[in-house]
Amino acid sequence: MVTRFQAELATASITAAFGLAVMVGATEFGIGWVKSGPEPGTFPFYMGLLVTVASIGTVVQALLSPALRGEAFLDAGQCRTVAAFVLPMIAFVVVAKLLGLYVATALYLFGSMLFQGGYRVWSSAAVAIAAPVVLYLVLERAFKVYLLKGPIESALGF
Amino acid sequence: MEGFSALLHGFGVALSGYHLALMVIGVLLGILVGVLPGLGAPNGVSLLLPLTFTMDPVAAIILLTSIYWGALFGGSTTSILFNIPGEPSSVATTFDGYPLAKQGQATQALSYAFLSAGFGALVGVVLITALSGWVARFALKFSSPEYFAVYFLAFASFVGLGGASPFKTVTSIGIGFALAAVGMDSVSGSLRLTFGLDQFIAGMSFLVAVIGLFGLGELVMTIETGMKLEGIRARISPRAVFETLLQMPRYWVALVRSAAVGCWMGITPGGPTAASFMSYGLAKRFSRRRSNFGRGEPEGVVSPETADHAAGTSAMLPMLALGVPGSATAAVMLGGLMIWGLNPGPMLFIERPDFVWGLVASMYLGNVVAVLLVLTTVPFFAAILRVPFAIIGPIIVVVCFVGAYTVASREFDLWLVLAFGAVGYAFKKLDYPIAPLVLAMVIGDKAEDAFRQSLIMSKGSAAIFWSNPLVASLMALALLLLFWPLLGGIARAMSRRARGPAA
Repeated sequence: MVTRFQAELATASITAAFGLAVMVGATEFGIGWVKSGPEPGTFPFYMGLLVTVASIGTVVQALLSPALRGEAFLDAGQCRTVAAFVLPMIAFVVVAKLLGLYVATALYLFGSMLFQGGYRVWSSAAVAIAAPVVLYLVLERAFKVYLLKGPIESALGF
Repeated sequence: MEGFSALLHGFGVALSGYHLALMVIGVLLGILVGVLPGLGAPNGVSLLLPLTFTMDPVAAIILLTSIYWGALFGGSTTSILFNIPGEPSSVATTFDGYPLAKQGQATQALSYAFLSAGFGALVGVVLITALSGWVARFALKFSSPEYFAVYFLAFASFVGLGGASPFKTVTSIGIGFALAAVGMDSVSGSLRLTFGLDQFIAGMSFLVAVIGLFGLGELVMTIETGMKLEGIRARISPRAVFETLLQMPRYWVALVRSAAVGCWMGITPGGPTAASFMSYGLAKRFSRRRSNFGRGEPEGVVSPETADHAAGTSAMLPMLALGVPGSATAAVMLGGLMIWGLNPGPMLFIERPDFVWGLVASMYLGNVVAVLLVLTTVPFFAAILRVPFAIIGPIIVVVCFVGAYTVASREFDLWLVLAFGAVGYAFKKLDYPIAPLVLAMVIGDKAEDAFRQSLIMSKGSAAIFWSNPLVASLMALALLLLFWPLLGGIARAMSRRARGPAA
């Protein structure tokens, strides 16, 4: 089980690291004053500082509230549910990069309906084929917005 | 009143078959977006914004605002029928709306919600009609320091009035500003915060951020809590609606109070969510039937709904007149205005009066259309929620990714939206407010420009932010709001000490 306390600390550490990274990145462009006004790094630098300081504040607040240590953030069951939803989503992005968004959409919908929804092959396939067709008609035909395509579309001549 | 003649002209702009058709489409899409879990108003507007890039700005804003109205109504529908708020701002509606529906009064509950929402929206639009010209003319006197003070005031009120931990709110704001700074700096031309990555040169789109933060983040939250839908069937008969309408005057105190709360929270960027909770809280405290709250009290439906919609509409006032959006959705629309080549703020009233007043007129029409459409289509949209989540969930995921890709046709945005989804999930679970992050991303460049310009004017002295009564009072008000939580804490500590150590 992940406790709320651990989650608070982890998130605040990440935001603090983000703030520090922004500060370091901003110093590259100067954070002082030149004749034409403040240097380009000034504003981002102070924003990074703000994030870092506020994150430390959150950490201190978390350390001072003992109730958070017992509070559950994610239990094992929720962890599995969330993973079962998020991992296919990551796979979707990887496939979209390789084969384009249309193919990724079809595979993703087919997979999640078949394996997670427990639907039959034919109904899963029907939705998986219908969705990209609808996307194509609405976006590329009606609004002239073009989606990422892969080798399969070019082989089919689109 | 010049507002009226301008408004009449606006009706001339808005009243065309094409625009009315856009309103109907927008409202229907909005209700759909509001009903579906994980898709909300900010998201719906973000997803559709890329499709409006080639449209005429008046038509585009009518479409987007109609989605906004529709989403506000859709969120209330699911709150009442399924006990699932479709929107964060309709959480308070579940408290009494669902119990009322469970007692077999679903039609009444929905009618109360929609009619009071329509009332709240109307008050918001009337306020905009009456005040926006005046506010814009006032804002014409603003130069950079005053603008910076207004932006500062907006963010300070998030800290002071938002209700979340001030540290978390500040973290959220700072991250938003830092992300806005990524990429080409418009003043010096240098490529900031790219860390050597080519993907960052073009900057980060707030649309991708909104889709990830609100869409994917919220969807994972929904999954985690487990989707159990116990819907109540509803068919709306015109007679029941009419009878409810006759009952409405009985709640005039709640209506007026909630509309006032909503308008206030919409103009200061407290947003619809805070407004609806505050209004419900006030109603519960002051109502004569307070013991009935939580058990299906109509006043407990009327109050949050009125405030929610009053806030939603009046959030457009500071967006139009000052260029400071009052809610996350208004922030997305503000970004849209800039993409369409318009300059939100007082100059918009002079340069494009047809746009401003066409929009205001469309808000009157759009809300009427929304009330009528939502009353007639409730059974249909309730049926959509009965489609199993194993189908709806993945489809929403696809829509989010496709929407993120259409923003700029960049593969990298697919990863970015995933990352923002993770941030959105963590932030939501840990009560970090997300709206300030979005607001900071949208107006980041403008706020930074105002900051730099002010310092250039004063040759580097921060005293410019106190240099005249106007900017000084804005800054003072902002500081007061910023330290409000702290002041409240001190006041509590003092009163505790006054009561003696026995307590």
